[in-house]
Amino acid sequence: MPTNRDVLLVERQALGGPYFVLSFGHPQVAREGRAGQFVMIKAGLSAEPPLRRPFSILAVDPERERFSLFVKAIGPGTRALCALEPGQPAQCLGPLGRPFTAPADDEEPLLVAGGYGIAPFLLMSRELRARGATARVFYGGRTAAELQLREPFAEAGVPLELATDDGSLGFHGRVTGALEAHLDRGGDGRRPRLYACGPDPMLHAVARLAQRRGLRAEVSLDPWMGCGVGTCLGCVVKIQAPEQERWKYRCACTEGPVFDAAHVLWPGEERSAAAEAGR
Amino acid sequence: MSPPNLAVDFAGIRLKNPLVAASGTFGYGVEYEGILDLSKLGGLVSKGLYMTPRDGNPTPRLAETPSGLLNAIGLQGVGVRAFARDVLPRLARHDTAVFVNVCGDSVEEYAEVAAALEDAPGVAGLEINISCPNVKKGGLAFGNDPAMTHAVVAAVRKVTKRPLIPKLSPNVSDIATFARACADAGADGLSCVNTLLGMAIDVESRRPKLAFGTGGLSGPAIRPVAVRMTWQVARAVKLPIFGIGGISSAADALEFLIAGATAVQIGTANFVDPGVYDRILAGLSDYLVRHGLGDVREVVGTLQMPERA
Repeated sequence: MPTNRDVLLVERQALGGPYFVLSFGHPQVAREGRAGQFVMIKAGLSAEPPLRRPFSILAVDPERERFSLFVKAIGPGTRALCALEPGQPAQCLGPLGRPFTAPADDEEPLLVAGGYGIAPFLLMSRELRARGATARVFYGGRTAAELQLREPFAEAGVPLELATDDGSLGFHGRVTGALEAHLDRGGDGRRPRLYACGPDPMLHAVARLAQRRGLRAEVSLDPWMGCGVGTCLGCVVKIQAPEQERWKYRCACTEGPVFDAAHVLWPGEERSAAAEAGR
Repeated sequence: MSPPNLAVDFAGIRLKNPLVAASGTFGYGVEYEGILDLSKLGGLVSKGLYMTPRDGNPTPRLAETPSGLLNAIGLQGVGVRAFARDVLPRLARHDTAVFVNVCGDSVEEYAEVAAALEDAPGVAGLEINISCPNVKKGGLAFGNDPAMTHAVVAAVRKVTKRPLIPKLSPNVSDIATFARACADAGADGLSCVNTLLGMAIDVESRRPKLAFGTGGLSGPAIRPVAVRMTWQVARAVKLPIFGIGGISSAADALEFLIAGATAVQIGTANFVDPGVYDRILAGLSDYLVRHGLGDVREVVGTLQMPERA
């Protein structure tokens, strides 16, 4: 159950550039948080900026009752959060949303991240390990400087397959290119199961790839979000399950943020044009 | 000394305290079950309801602005029948006053929605939404013409005995005219005010930040406008008023009470902090104790207006 409370920053780790790992005390998120779930958090009660921000849960530590976030300081909300000193408070509601679903034993879990979309996959790797499975993580960005969350994966013994658009690190090209190369090599022999988090165009590319190859894929969407609990209806996305005649707006906060990639109506790919025109 | 009384009477409805969750910022209330104790609220107002389910507007629907939030949700909703069937029984478990926000594309639909709720248990009153700026039909069209405002309220008055509380639009030049039109048509109270019509533009793409183009502005940015309008409405009519607009602290709530509101509605602050009710209630009690007052009603309409030169 999501719990709203004041939290204290317990640790701030500056990675390269605008990237930070922030740890907060919050027993409920630490105990209950699952990969793909998120928190709504804001530093202080000031009216600027007005709203809390959603962040995927990066890691949980139930024993010390902490969780951590991977934050890129790019706007007023994220900058205020990253300027917190240990011991300073923030307001936090979580854990929220639906997590990624676990793969079956005969599926090879392939985790595909673009930029700060890497955040949920550290926790996901640990959850998979607890089930005796090993994650393969594809981590892409425009340049090496965008791939700042490598160390925690190394510490956790999770290998990363890196990709950069400019070739400055790892595979030269899109992260989906690195993924395709792996699939073309036959993977580990099991049926691949895709999990993706990152910018919309990347998620759309993963969804197309999954459809083309007949693979199951889940994507974590990140639309503008107001409340996190399904009341503001600001974060809705068009979702159409196969048995439905027509799409419905679903809240990314409560019915996502993780959706079956095949159910998402991506911009320009709306399946039911007639139904669309009928409203 | 016993704690000060926070209970108020609003159009014959007892509210255990003067804090009510505003329509469109609290879903149908049940979304907050488990996150906060709904019984701590004086009341809540449902998301706006038509006869049938509605998709609402395309996305993006939200944009942050200085100390404000611009929205064009477009009254996405489940429809009044699903609400009465699925939501009202759940809300009945909580000790709080439930108001239903009634919408319509036509005068007739407003009356139809109100009539559909007439036998539903657990409804304290109806808020009439004549002021949503984010729909193509109805909404604001009824709220910025005094004759249309009168027509809607009178039509709903004919089909219900429940307390009627039209929600006024701030997008008018003389809000007192609209308050009087509501009173003449049989309103029992007024909600003051809905969002201010606004627009935000992405300068890189030269497109509006909202897919609908324009939106309704809420949050602390609009509070001075809403306080002024509450004061004007309180002077124009004898009806109880819900003051609404950017309230997120006890001092904010007190501004509206002092201006003449009997109670207040909390809107955008619900998104920012679901714990806002505890903070405001504690602050209201502190204020009353500090001023030697035993009852929140002693504050209402006590504005000390200086002589204007």
